[in-house]
Amino acid sequence: MSSLFGNILKGWTDYTKGIEEGGHHEYEHMWGMVIDLDKCTGCNACSVACYAENNIATVGEEKYVARQSMQWLRVERYFDEPDIDPGAIDDENAMQERGASFLPMMCQQCNAATCEPVCPVAATYHTPDGLNAQIYNRCIGSRYCANNCPYRLRVFNFYSYTDENGAWPEPMKQQLNPDISVREKGVMEKCTFCIQRINAAKDKAKMENRQVTEGEVKTACQQTCPTQAIMFGDLLNPESKVTQAWVRQQIKLGKYKQDRENPTLRGYRIFEELNTDPSVLYLERVREE
Amino acid sequence: MNQSKLDRRQFLKGLGLGGAGVALAGCDLPSYVTLEQGEENVISYLAPNEYVIPGVGVWYASTCVGCSAGCGIHGRVREGRVLKLEGNPDSGVNMGRLCQMGQAALQHHFNPDRIANPMVRKNGALVEASWDEAIALINEKSKSGKAAWVTGTISGHQRVMAQTHLGAIGGSRHYAVEQINANVWKTACKDIINDPNPEIHLEKAKVIFSLGADFLGTFISPVHFAASYAEFRTPPRGTLIQAEPAMSLTGGNADHWVGIKPGSETALALGVANALMNNHGVAGNGISNATKTLINKHDPETVAGICAVPVGRIEKIAASLAANSPSLVLAGGSATGNANGYSAAAAALMLNQMLGNIGTTITAGRELAYPQLDLVEGNSANLKDLAIDANEGKIDVLFVSGANPLFLAPKSLKMLEGWNKVGFKVVLSSMLDETAEAADVVLPLASSLEDWGSHIPSYAKGTRNLALQQPLMEPVFPNTRGFGDVVLALAKDAGAPGLDDYDDYYGYLRSAISALKKTDSEKEWNGFLMAGQTQIPSLGRKLSYSDGKITPTMNDSDDGNLTLIASARMGMWDGRGANLPWLQESPDQISKVVWDSWAELHPKTAKSLGIKDGDYINIKSASGEVTTRAFIYKGIHPGAIAVPIGRGHSALGRYAKDNGVNPLSILNGASDSKTGEIATTATKVSVKSAGKNKQMAKLMEIDRQHGRKLVATISADKQRRTEGGA
Repeated sequence: MSSLFGNILKGWTDYTKGIEEGGHHEYEHMWGMVIDLDKCTGCNACSVACYAENNIATVGEEKYVARQSMQWLRVERYFDEPDIDPGAIDDENAMQERGASFLPMMCQQCNAATCEPVCPVAATYHTPDGLNAQIYNRCIGSRYCANNCPYRLRVFNFYSYTDENGAWPEPMKQQLNPDISVREKGVMEKCTFCIQRINAAKDKAKMENRQVTEGEVKTACQQTCPTQAIMFGDLLNPESKVTQAWVRQQIKLGKYKQDRENPTLRGYRIFEELNTDPSVLYLERVREE
Repeated sequence: MNQSKLDRRQFLKGLGLGGAGVALAGCDLPSYVTLEQGEENVISYLAPNEYVIPGVGVWYASTCVGCSAGCGIHGRVREGRVLKLEGNPDSGVNMGRLCQMGQAALQHHFNPDRIANPMVRKNGALVEASWDEAIALINEKSKSGKAAWVTGTISGHQRVMAQTHLGAIGGSRHYAVEQINANVWKTACKDIINDPNPEIHLEKAKVIFSLGADFLGTFISPVHFAASYAEFRTPPRGTLIQAEPAMSLTGGNADHWVGIKPGSETALALGVANALMNNHGVAGNGISNATKTLINKHDPETVAGICAVPVGRIEKIAASLAANSPSLVLAGGSATGNANGYSAAAAALMLNQMLGNIGTTITAGRELAYPQLDLVEGNSANLKDLAIDANEGKIDVLFVSGANPLFLAPKSLKMLEGWNKVGFKVVLSSMLDETAEAADVVLPLASSLEDWGSHIPSYAKGTRNLALQQPLMEPVFPNTRGFGDVVLALAKDAGAPGLDDYDDYYGYLRSAISALKKTDSEKEWNGFLMAGQTQIPSLGRKLSYSDGKITPTMNDSDDGNLTLIASARMGMWDGRGANLPWLQESPDQISKVVWDSWAELHPKTAKSLGIKDGDYINIKSASGEVTTRAFIYKGIHPGAIAVPIGRGHSALGRYAKDNGVNPLSILNGASDSKTGEIATTATKVSVKSAGKNKQMAKLMEIDRQHGRKLVATISADKQRRTEGGA
């Protein structure tokens, strides 16, 4: 009982502090990512690794056309080179003079997430790790969150995929990862930064009475990336590679406009101007002129 | 249905790990602790065996057999099931990384369409039979007649076993069949620089000029090359120039993508050589006078006409190569997929010689000291030979495993007619593919995650390793058997000498590797298994250079038809990925289409044919036709139409069957004049609208960013200014 009482007191303290300081979070960790678009080859290994790790259902052609696919991590592909070749892309008779542009997009784990305040049942919330999380058992399927996500990175279970005609006919079910749930019809889901791996590492660190160390948690997409274009780590740990990359790129959390000493650095956050405060930093792609 | 039969004691016994301390020998990574720890009571076994802590995953090392690269893998095993594959960080092939096919190997293993029991053809239909019945039938039928084996790329002790069996039944020919290969490049390397498998150092190059070689997707060892590519892109950053008629994954990452007329790659290489010699003072040491004469005939203006590439771009390529040393020139994929493919590879090596790359970015590889274990690399010339020999009645008994000749062979080869002339066909397979469906006996194989094996990776830098494959779990389908076990039993029955001491393939493998490593210690054996590999002796090779024969002539008739490019993709690969839903739903890297085939067309061509995006189009060659939907974009030459390989199965399983089309089936009989490789970019087709349209299932409905800062791009000069390294 005493711990419950303690939690209530602590919650109240945090709450008042939040009012005073404006959006203050007392984070234990602040998981963040850095994706180097110049290294990304668009090979899609990350996306398939994500299906394997996170029990994501395949939906088939018909539902894919209806935009009901369940992928948490998609690799977008564009054919324009707006910053280097203005104009060339409009000539219908020309051929492509450069390759394509690839963009791995997973939940940006916004710190001012637009999906959170609209949930009528508080199924989507912010964890003390700085993650934007989804409580499946609480979700009623209003889909307000998905409508409000500027990145279109939330996916909804329009159907149940667990029966024999679903995504995992026997014996495929045996592959399902027991560390996380299989979501049912009517539930919203999204990238979690592999929260099961984070929690496993935190549990282990706690048992050994130490902090989670740099590199101890690897997300499935980061682990498999053939070019190691994805970096992941704790932004509260000043030693971590992601923190160093954010500092090097002069990108700060909590801003919708960065005023950098060196504006030619490659780092940027997608749709930062919407004040979503995303935790994923992208490094601009580089091409020879 | 199988869960009740999972028995860990038997599994461990099968592993040969009887003693206490060694049962978790494969576990060398920190294990996971689950969220539900302490709460999870319902697991696969009410009384778990002594070494398994419920809810804790352990990792076992093995080898991926998705392609012949031989990447090392770690499989996460929990409650007796393998749940996830990751790369083995100790493997020199993939350094802990995996491609999407490696990730999806789990779905092959747990596939609902796997063959559960042996089958024997009775009254024209395949019916389930016992192993004893099937083996007895094989032993009876293979006593007489000319026997042959068909496999994919095969190496290590499986190769020894298959060839021992072939010898014991008096057979002669082993056809190693592989549609996606680098045979032309490797043959040219062997002839010209005296090393079929040189080390290729992408990371040392300042410029890579690739003639169709899709080294990030389908060329030799894609994950390894992707890792080298990442180093190549680290400041000071290298430039990638890709020339090909239809955009590959590597082309999609090019700084400069040069869309050229199919089959004109050799001419482009000669044009670049001409500009190098005449405009940039490159001497051309070691290039023969005959070749120099040929180069002199190919000034950039002439070449521009042949390739449909502007003169300025040819000169720009030459300037870039001349200014940045060392560079690297590669040839593969579409460049080597025509009747003159060998010339393209020879011309690429000639450029490397001119630019002084041989010895810097292309260095000598190492040769195995045990050639009997080395790779028998599959190619499509063997597919052609197989069709011819079968049709000529040279084969009476045929054993097939790891290859699907009835799917891969173009109709023009008359493979099915030849197949039907073979008296007795045995297929060893885990899936009922086109070839297995037409067999007389089908033996159900264990999946790659349930089997023992040893493999030689198709590409290695530095020392050579034998990659080890071990079972990660007990068979999902209990009546399946390992490839090695089946072939060992067949070889013993056929009276092959020296195999009597071995009860199973594990015993054979263990004793062979112990002999190889000159150690019988249990501890060291477990060490090999934990590492997933063991080093074996190899000998250095030495590079030399002598010009290859370059013949730039194109057999191109301007008949108004389009050139069909049967393009290779990482994903479906040669069709083996088609029954894995993860790969079916993984968007193609360039077109972003899922769950179906598509035909790539240039907007100009589409307009002239009256075709819109998503229209069904009819693609007709002299030997057949296919109908699929059009995908219109500018990453293809207007004179070409590209259809990816891999879909269009009439068998294989629920996800693959009747999904998409197979462009290989309508290829004409052309092949590379030197190596005999089936030409994948040399078939003329007529294309017309089939009058229907349906929205394609694809990830991207737009190709432009419309001014939003999604993928931002900066120039390399700007990067060099801010990040240095120049």
